[in-house]
Amino acid sequence: MTSDMIAERPLPEITELTEPFWTAAKARRLEVQRCDDCGTYRFPPEYGCAACSSTAYTWTEVSGRAELYTWTAVHPPLLPYFAERAPWPLAVVQLEEGPRLTTNLTGVDLDEYEIGMALQADFEDLDDEITLVVFRRG
Amino acid sequence: MTGFARDKTAIVGIGTTEYVKNIGRSELETSLEAIHQALDDAALTPAEVDALYKIETPGEDGNSELNVARNLGANNLRAWGGFGYGGGGACAPVVYAAMAVATGMASVAVAFRARNRGSGARPWSKTGARVRDTGAFEAPYGLVSPVQQLALVTRRYMHEYGATSEQFARVSVSQRSNASRNPRAFFRDPITVEDVLSSRMIADPLHLLDCSLETDGACAVVVTSADRARDLKQTPAYIAGASQGMGPRHYMMNGLLYKDDPFDMPSLYAARDVYAAAGMGPEDVDVALFYDVFSPMVLWQLEAYGFCQPGEAGAFVEEGKIDWPDGEIPVNTHGGSLSEAYVHGFNHVLEGVRQIRGTSTCQVEDASVALVAAAAVVPSSALLLRRQA
Ligand SMILES: [Zn+2]
Repeated sequence: MTSDMIAERPLPEITELTEPFWTAAKARRLEVQRCDDCGTYRFPPEYGCAACSSTAYTWTEVSGRAELYTWTAVHPPLLPYFAERAPWPLAVVQLEEGPRLTTNLTGVDLDEYEIGMALQADFEDLDDEITLVVFRRG
Repeated sequence: MTGFARDKTAIVGIGTTEYVKNIGRSELETSLEAIHQALDDAALTPAEVDALYKIETPGEDGNSELNVARNLGANNLRAWGGFGYGGGGACAPVVYAAMAVATGMASVAVAFRARNRGSGARPWSKTGARVRDTGAFEAPYGLVSPVQQLALVTRRYMHEYGATSEQFARVSVSQRSNASRNPRAFFRDPITVEDVLSSRMIADPLHLLDCSLETDGACAVVVTSADRARDLKQTPAYIAGASQGMGPRHYMMNGLLYKDDPFDMPSLYAARDVYAAAGMGPEDVDVALFYDVFSPMVLWQLEAYGFCQPGEAGAFVEEGKIDWPDGEIPVNTHGGSLSEAYVHGFNHVLEGVRQIRGTSTCQVEDASVALVAAAAVVPSSALLLRRQA
């Protein structure tokens, strides 16, 4: 471990491309991009559609209904913020519209994690600017 | 539809430093040591080198092509380049070295990798307070390192195909057994499945002994034309096929999980093209050198390169089919990244050459074709080496 690791939780850098996602999250809405030409939902955000090459898209609210797709619990060495809270669970969930997101589950004990379990998007305010999309039991 | 200058080039020299936790020298110095040794091995001189290709990691420039060329006395470089994507680039510098020689752009090309990964900081430890790109949607949740990313992919693989931690452990055990005969290997003490399963959990389901070493070291190879290779000192390892492969909508490791099918991995595309380039299939391969930064990756490579069907590699490994000397397809006869050294998989290229020469410490009898495959889960690359052109 190097001593110059950041002490706090890393935060997203908000860019022109990703700003609508974070603005929606702050307003407690989960939005992902949807291709205007072929209708494919996509995440993470992109400028173009891998399915049809279109660069036209609309940020679209989704239901927030999802399933647990995979998970892990991570142990040190970790960034200090997570090391203090280890084992730290990580989840990847699949939205009913198709896209998958890396996230954390809230209100679920580690021994209750089960692939396929029903989940619902929830929101965790980290500061005045950043709200993370997390998931709870659905 | 895919082509390559089949058997027009060969690897004629290999060189490596020692593999240790802290080598005490810069990556430029270790690059030079490995390159000098590879040139000596080939009986060629630094002044003849006119192309340099390397694996590189963004932000590392100590062993840039210009620094190496100057310090090597290679004063007439005609072609050079660096390849990213970490272990996915393991074969890429050799692929391009062969291309440069085959097209006539260069005559003696050196491909190399130096990495102080044992004594240097882990890349993820440099995570900043603000993270961009896909990391913006991962790091705030705590996901920053390769082992965490691969743990998520591995858990899904277990769910879809019924693979077990014991099967992953068998990979580490098999490779350690090979390393026990290899004096260069960092870890040489034999281990058992139980040792792997009782080692510290790093990212569930991956234990410490499912993970690669963190070592310092450098490796280099020399590529020249097949015509010239026949007159040189060593048995040539002819480059029968070479490829890079990415496939659709690829991100880095954890990003596999954002694809429709996470197991539609880059190595499937590298495999398809390297076999087509060489006019070979898995049945022609005598020994496989698979990038193995984490043990499950060997299973994914076995499937991608056609040694078993999707989901069947766990049982294949459990039945001893990758074990040297009696397995169906001996894998990582040097010990790999799990036991010999972590040099971003470039040490696997050298082992492929040793197998073709007949000089491995776990020599596969009458080996005439060696497959070297870069990381399965990131933009990848592959080589098929053979003894007779
Ligand atoms: Zn589209």
